[in-house]
Formats: sequence, C-alpha cells, structure tokens
Amino acid sequence: MSDDDLIIYEEEIEKIDLVLSKMLKGAEAKCALLVDKDGHLITRQGFTHSLDTTALAALLAGSFASTKEIARLVGESEFSVLFHQGKKDHIHMSLVGDRSILAVVFDDRTTIGMVRLYAKEAATELAKIIASVKSSSRESHTGLTDEFASTAGDKLDDIFQD
Amino acid sequence: MVSINYATREVTCKIVYYGPGLSGKTTNLIYIHKKVPANTKGKMISLATEADRTLYFDFLPINIGTISGFAAKFQLYTVPGQVYYNATRKLVLRGVDGLVFVADSQADKMDENIESLTNMRENVEEYGYNLDEIPVVIQYNKRDLPNVLSVEELDAKLNNKGWASFGAEAVNGAGVFDSLKMIIKLVLEKAKQGQKSKPKAEKKAAPAPAAKPESVAEKPATMTPSSEGVRESVPESQPVVSGSAETAQSRVAPEVREHVKTTAESAAPTGPIRSPAYDREGTGGESDKKEPVSSSDVPPMNKDIVSTTDDINQIPSDVKENKPGGEVGQETGRVTSDQARPFPGSRRERRITVSDFLPSSREDGMEEIDEESETDNVKKETAAESNLPSPTMAPSSRLIKKKRGFFKRLFGIK
Repeated sequence: MSDDDLIIYEEEIEKIDLVLSKMLKGAEAKCALLVDKDGHLITRQGFTHSLDTTALAALLAGSFASTKEIARLVGESEFSVLFHQGKKDHIHMSLVGDRSILAVVFDDRTTIGMVRLYAKEAATELAKIIASVKSSSRESHTGLTDEFASTAGDKLDDIFQD
Repeated sequence: MVSINYATREVTCKIVYYGPGLSGKTTNLIYIHKKVPANTKGKMISLATEADRTLYFDFLPINIGTISGFAAKFQLYTVPGQVYYNATRKLVLRGVDGLVFVADSQADKMDENIESLTNMRENVEEYGYNLDEIPVVIQYNKRDLPNVLSVEELDAKLNNKGWASFGAEAVNGAGVFDSLKMIIKLVLEKAKQGQKSKPKAEKKAAPAPAAKPESVAEKPATMTPSSEGVRESVPESQPVVSGSAETAQSRVAPEVREHVKTTAESAAPTGPIRSPAYDREGTGGESDKKEPVSSSDVPPMNKDIVSTTDDINQIPSDVKENKPGGEVGQETGRVTSDQARPFPGSRRERRITVSDFLPSSREDGMEEIDEESETDNVKKETAAESNLPSPTMAPSSRLIKKKRGFFKRLFGIK
C-alpha cells in the first residue's frame, strides 16, 4: 500500500503553483485547489484564506468519488468534469491524471466557459508534473524517520487526555 | 496512503472508523472532537441524514504538531454503518492508512459485527489493498450496556488476526483515546516500514531541512498488534458494566450532535502549516490576480482562441489603414472583437462593448466618422448619432426631424 504513498517535493509544488496561478489569472477565478482523490490537499492558490481548505479538500474528493459511482451506474467509467453552481460562487472540478482533482472556485466576474477552458489546459500541464512526481518519488525517499514515529507516539499522550 | 508534502512540510494520514450501524463510530469522533485541544483539531464535518444517521462520512482533521520539521496530520473519517449504504461506505476507504473497527459488544449484535467485518475485508480488497497489511485496531464499544459479551468472547469471534483490541464506552469516552493512540502509532510504524523497505537513492535537492535527524534511535517500546499488546490493553479499558438500559439510538443522542453543530462552528480550524516559501507563492498569486490582464501573461497556446485587450485595441487601427471609411472600419472592428470572444458575456467582452459608447475611449476610426458626419447630410445620420457626447443623452429634436424627413422622402410620403 505504501507503494502508492504520495510524496511531493517543493520544486514540484512550485511548478504546480505556477500553473495554478497562471490559470487563475487567465480565467479570472478566485482560487484553485489541487486535491488528491483520497481527500488530501496537495496545494492551493488564490484567495483561500477564508476557506477551510482541509475540509474542502476532503469533501471535494468525496463528491468526486460519489459522482464516479454515479457514472459507473450509467455506464461511464468516470465523469471527468463536475460543476457546482451557486448563487454567487461556483466550483468547477476536473480530473487531473488518474489520482488528482483540480477544483476552481469562481464567481460572476468570469464565466464557466473561461474557467473550463483554462482548467482544461492546466489539467494537462498538471498531469505531466504529477506523473513526474510519481516516477521520481519512487527513487528517493527521505520521508518518515524512526524518530518521527516515536516522537509522534510520545506526543499523543499529551494531546489525547481524557 | 500516507501523503508527504515537502512544500507545506506536512505528513497526512487517513484513519477510517468502520463498523456496523449504530455501533458508535460517529460518537467516537464527537468525543475526540470535544476533548482534544482547540489548536489541534479542525472543524468536524458530518454528512448525516435528517435522522442524524451518517449518510456519507464524518470528517475530523487532527494536527498533532510538528515533528522533525513536519506537521503530522491525521484525518479521521467514519463510514455509514448501515448495510444499505455500502456504495458510499466503500468510497471512504480509498487511500486508507489505518482502520478502527468499532464493534457493538451487545450479544444480539454479533451477526452485524461479523457481517460488517466481512464487508470491510471485501471493500478493502476491492481497492486492491491487503487487509493484513493495513493497521487495524478493534474497539468493543458499548461496554456500559447490559447483555454484552465479554472481551474474550468478542476477541474469539471477531479478532482472529490478533489486532489490538480495546473495550470502550464511546458515549462517555472510555477507550476512545486508547484506540486512537494505538492506531496512530501503528500507522506511523507502518509508514516508517514502508519507507524503509524501499530502495534509497540519491536525495533530492529540495527536501531535508536541518531538523531532519539522520541518527536512527530505535525505540523498542513502540507497540505492535501482537497478542501481547492485546492482552495488556484489555484490562485497562475493560469497564464495569453499568445498569444503563438506554437504547443504542438514544445513546448517540441529539445533544451530542448538537455539540458538533455548536462547537464545530466555534472551533478554530486547524491552521495550515505553510512554509515561508509557500506563503510567498500564495500571496504573490493573489496580488498578481488583481493586476489587469496583459497579453504577455496569457499562455501562448491561448492566443489564437482568446484575444487579449491589446489585440482588440489593434483591430480598429488596422482596419482603418485598409479601409478609409471610418464607419465600416468601426463596424468591422466590433464584429472581429465579438468573434474573438468565444464566450460572450465574459468580463473583457463587456468592457469593450461599454467603452465603445464612452467618448474618452473612442478609437481613431470613430474620430474620422466625426469629421465626416459634420459635413455630410442625412445619409450619415446614423453615424452622427453615435457622435453624441453621452449615451444617456437623448437625440436632439433637430435630428429626429431630419430623420423623419428622410423616411418621408424615402417612402414618398407627403
């Protein structure tokens, strides 16, 4: 299972952030989140300070997962684009590669078409970056040390007290 | 699967509470949410039905602090327990790092426990994971109810894998943290082994802060799901059976749910720990966003589809060079600009349209029309109309009369 561990390095995040901010500028959207299908937030750009991005990432991934099941019921393998329309703010979600989701939050300053166009381009670029992450992370692992696990174990007693 | 993000310096693990309906999975999370310090937890989200039964999942992020330069984050999920919701239950298991199986200790719930356990195995295997490789902790909940089986009996029936097991009363918190601490330890242990088992190649340039220790301090005391661990843990959390005859439904009581609604809102969300580099990127993106769009900022591949403001401004002047008729030039320019907008109604498209009516932003072509229209007669009146100082001003009575005269002449009316 740990073969699938998602390990992302700073330089890749920088590349991803660049693509995201370029897309935001082009589409004139509010913010963009790149989310792992498991519900982990990979990175975000734009006006995200007022958002609980952790919860948003989990819910977006959940939403995408349930839509995938719906797709399967109607004979599709997966819906690649999802759009939630609100009164003011809207969310456009699109699949990036096979394990990530790009969510773009936007309002009426732009249009769904613009967002869709730029998100599609960004998704192609992001898929390439993420594919390179997957292949490169196989080679070098500097992740969790023994001390990490043991220190975390010690901390638990402090935090989880009845 | 464990997610390690070197940019935000976060390690994120996903722990799922599994078990039959009404076994107390959500109650576990509610208790954890209630008891952990505010700076440790994020907002708890419960996707429940009107009757407070979990529909999709509950979600509680916990940040146990920075260790070796990394923020250790755990995302706790519950699944909907009812058999009916297997489709959504399976979805929550995607990318799971550790499982807490919450079993109902009551004797008459044994079948449901076994069914749920079998279902857990099936669902996990459907994702291609091996249940033997995923850390599992089993929690025998509702020890406070009468008619419960002993932990030994439950162990014999449910725990043939030798998983760590705990007796618990989730409604008052007994055994909740024991299960959580154990599963976190096991998940980290497993993550560490996963890292170790992989071939180590050259280090990448970006990661590895000074805080990362190279020396490996072996800790023999870390617990493993051995039978020894199980036996140790059982007596401590095996509670006295009280005479409470509450039904299971009333135990997951409305006031607890109420608590989530109130405290969840008041609780500060887990502050994302971001590296300075990341912050710089983030704010940079925002400030950039406020700037007007220029052609150089647009990705080159878009240029053929979406023309920028600069492109639009050039169009009328080009046309002017080719066609001396200002009116025609302007018209062509307008059409071209509209065609260049694949999405009518976009902001830039709107801006251009409005600017056409404003005297300050009038193009060169327009000025030519002005000169011509002054000398010209009725035929140029349409152009002369656009010559008005403001779009809000009504055409003068002289113009209207002229127009009427033109139509009268045209149709031969006297």
